[in-house]
Amino acid sequence: MKPTETDSQVGGVDWSSSNAAATDLSRLDRYRDLYQERVYKPAVVAWSDWRTRFGLLIVGFYVVVALIAALGLYPSPETNQAPRYLLPLENMDYVLGTTATGTDLLALLVHATPEMMLMITSGAIWATGVAVVLGTVAGFKGGTTDRVLMAIADFVMAIPGLPLIMILAIAFTPENPLVLGVLITLNYWAGLGRSIRSQVLTIREQNYVEASRTMGTPTHRIIRKDIIPNLMPYVTVNFVTAARYVIFASVGLYFLGVLPIGAENWGITMYLAYSTAGALYTIEAAHWLIAPMLAILFLSLGLILLGQGMDRVFNPRVRTRLAGESESTAGSEAEDSNASTEIL
Amino acid sequence: MSHYLAKRTARVLFTVYLVATFTFGMIRLLPGGPLTTLRVKLARQGMDPDQINAYIENYQNIRPDATLLEQYQSYMLSVAGGDLGRSISLDEPVTNILAEAVPWTVFVVVVSTVLMFAFAVLFGAMMAYWEGSRFDQALTGVSILSASVPFYVLALLLVYFLGYQYQVLPTGGTTGLAVEKELSVPFVMSALEHAILPVASFTITGMGVQALAMRGNSIQVLGEDYVRVARLRGLADRRIATRYVGRNAILPMYTGFLLLLGFNLGGTIILERIFSYPGLGFYMFKALKARDYPLMMGTFLVITVALVVGAYVADLTYSKVDPRISSGGSNEAY
Amino acid sequence: MTASHSSTATSAVDASDTILELRNASVTYDDGESYVLDDVSIDIERNEIIGIVGESGSGKSMLASALLDAIPDPGLLSGEVSYYPEGGERVDVLDLDGASLKELRWEEVSMVFQGAMSSFNPTMKVRGHFEETLDAHDADRTAGMARARELLEDLYLDPQRVLDSYPHELSGGMQQRALIALSLVLEPDVLVMDEPTAALDLLMQRSILVLLEKLQEKYDLTMVFITHDLPLVASLADRLAVMYAFELVEVGPTEEILGHASHPYTRALLNATPNLDAPLEEMEAIEGSSPAPVNVPEGCSFRPRCPLADESCRVDAPEHSTVVDDHSVACHHWEDSAGEIPLNYAPDGGTSADVDADGGTPDGMDADGSRGGGER
Repeated sequence: MKPTETDSQVGGVDWSSSNAAATDLSRLDRYRDLYQERVYKPAVVAWSDWRTRFGLLIVGFYVVVALIAALGLYPSPETNQAPRYLLPLENMDYVLGTTATGTDLLALLVHATPEMMLMITSGAIWATGVAVVLGTVAGFKGGTTDRVLMAIADFVMAIPGLPLIMILAIAFTPENPLVLGVLITLNYWAGLGRSIRSQVLTIREQNYVEASRTMGTPTHRIIRKDIIPNLMPYVTVNFVTAARYVIFASVGLYFLGVLPIGAENWGITMYLAYSTAGALYTIEAAHWLIAPMLAILFLSLGLILLGQGMDRVFNPRVRTRLAGESESTAGSEAEDSNASTEIL
Repeated sequence: MSHYLAKRTARVLFTVYLVATFTFGMIRLLPGGPLTTLRVKLARQGMDPDQINAYIENYQNIRPDATLLEQYQSYMLSVAGGDLGRSISLDEPVTNILAEAVPWTVFVVVVSTVLMFAFAVLFGAMMAYWEGSRFDQALTGVSILSASVPFYVLALLLVYFLGYQYQVLPTGGTTGLAVEKELSVPFVMSALEHAILPVASFTITGMGVQALAMRGNSIQVLGEDYVRVARLRGLADRRIATRYVGRNAILPMYTGFLLLLGFNLGGTIILERIFSYPGLGFYMFKALKARDYPLMMGTFLVITVALVVGAYVADLTYSKVDPRISSGGSNEAY
Repeated sequence: MTASHSSTATSAVDASDTILELRNASVTYDDGESYVLDDVSIDIERNEIIGIVGESGSGKSMLASALLDAIPDPGLLSGEVSYYPEGGERVDVLDLDGASLKELRWEEVSMVFQGAMSSFNPTMKVRGHFEETLDAHDADRTAGMARARELLEDLYLDPQRVLDSYPHELSGGMQQRALIALSLVLEPDVLVMDEPTAALDLLMQRSILVLLEKLQEKYDLTMVFITHDLPLVASLADRLAVMYAFELVEVGPTEEILGHASHPYTRALLNATPNLDAPLEEMEAIEGSSPAPVNVPEGCSFRPRCPLADESCRVDAPEHSTVVDDHSVACHHWEDSAGEIPLNYAPDGGTSADVDADGGTPDGMDADGSRGGGER
């Protein structure tokens, strides 16, 4: 060992040459990088994907329609407001035509939108919220807490959703869309909660989380800082899936006529067309049945596109491969770092 | 293994027990239930209270004058003995009605779910294999579209066009009226003909989501090191496609199969209503409409048991097909 | 052991019996926008163990894949890869058709990837992996499985138990050894290993190294050992090649490199090596980080981190110059590097503070003796 050598080296050589702009990171740069990595690039990747773009446009359109209805900017549906059984495009005042009672079909669709959006939101928030909380707690606490929570989840999962909702709907005749949303996703959380739990278990085993625990970081901090951010992608995608489930189930229930017919809903419109006008047998009433179907179809299409697009943003592998083929410069730029780390 | 089997079996029984308790609670505690209505109706007809009680007990397995605990015990005992009470609207033992209905529902649900998975796996794998190609893009689009159609919307369209407008397929029933209910060629053909539309409604609308899931899984597995190593080892494409990609991509979907089975069982309420297909869902709908609680709860109980048994089978077989799930920890099968 | 090794190395070099040859090999992504392997040429001699050292992201895995023409899509490999079978004609690897390429891979040149766990199909028993490999190459199953069992035994594994296990039922070290056995089951001449020990604990790393040496002797293998761990491979390899930013910056016999490293990066790497005998404060981390494929600097890619860098380094990418016979370096200032960057261990080999001292080569093999001679 020659200490003199070492000394001269420490004093004499400046390894951190300042002209290495590409490699030298200041704190500000790091924040900028963080913003680039976490916010800007995902947003660009998301927007560069036509799925997300269309999904957002469609969902946005429904939100606007809901606002129009809520603010009373479009006339409410009334009986005998127009001639009966107008066909679509027959009278441009009632573009989609009218029902057997002379009600404007478009007005029916428009005014059912706000309640539907509320129902979707409350149902999806409830389902994902309960799933995240219980899944995280079970996965993180482990032991008895885990066993009890998972036993409950298993039980809840064993109950078929739709029949349960129907029985409860008959029993309690809920009319508030927020309550209905929750009712419909009453046992939806169980499956999601289970998969979130196993994700939490995986994240928990990661070295950095292990390190945080060893260093005595409080549990709530670990959950907030390490677990939740890692769950977000999965949760966001499932939020959209839950929302779609709420649409399908609620319209189905209204269509069956097991929910109270006080409110406006596309399902009720379908129910009336189907069971009172015999829309299946007569050409004249077909549009009455088909118009609400299209409303459901486009909203769920929007949600699915949104979910697919977001899946791309959050799933690095899909994201990498996607950008490898896409022409968008922003996309491929975001991928380069990914691609190289994956390959090398 | 046997220890696990015992534990898992116990869990099934316990779940069924809990659900039966739940149905008791619903029948007994539901506000404004049919009991009250019936009681009022009978009283108006001038029946004396004792008779009314006996009558109601017959319907509900519940003796109104007994304590809650006694009522509970006798209800559970008769359920365990296969007595689900008497349907109010159809005036027939619930068990008889359900015995007629169950096979049809199981037939439709199992066939449609299996077909759905078979097609989804096939198409999903093909999409992943030709990822980014025209074929992939087109089929992805179709999958997304199919996923945004609720099964009942497709069911209505199918019954409207193929049933009423063009009259190529029957619009209701499980078999033709003229067909004898016995195991014969015309009977089977008629049953299949009547099942085509209900099965198609479930299969086509459920396929999209599953195919996209399969596509995602396959793409992920295709990127795994072991697939690359397998290629370098010179394995044939077909072997890689089946033993490597197929198997490892399908396994995660196995659990989804279970959830889907449950979803479809519940969905039969709407489906069988549209096709007037007298299965479990059809009677559940009738019961809901007529506030026929015994029939409603009986149907609910049977649907739940079917689901629980499905989960049970899936759970036990999953540990057989996925070596990573040891028999003890197969909770993850969900 | 030492003797046998150095003699192998010498004879190989003397006869210049090349088995694999890479000429101007480049790998590009994004339509030639970014290089992940940049104009690399190297000869691999028959029966030698060559260590390829570089930090993560330096392109060393690409080099390994290039040897088998197995660059993952959508990467493009250009240049020349030649394989010389014993006593046979030169084979142009990049020109092979599907069937011949399949024969070359695993039968002639085999590969062990990093991360044994991910190299096995999780839903298939280890036995299945062996059998399907034999089947795919139309090899005799009985003889092949007997060889597999022997290989597993050579690697101190219980063949019966390992073959009947699923991958997840084996420990990391067992999987790694099973993977090595799998790669040798068709009796290849060359074994390329990409970080074969990275995921293992130190003890297991050492014992696998010992086993590899034994295998090399028993089966007359040529081994390409790719790693970021210089001291680890130094205890095993006859020759070392150092990679930086997708290029080879220095190639030479192990003793030469350890004693007279001429590239500033190699010297920095040696100084950055943890050394049991040296106090921690004498360890020198290399400041900065290696460039990403998209922004490799003009001129010499190590320039931004190099204390010797001047204008010429900015303008010209250095060519390889010969230090002594088989020791070449790609640096404009290699003659000054020794004076400018002293090694923090005693290069004259008098003390135990050697780079490979922490290696503690288990069987006593040591490159120590051959490193004498002091600073030039």
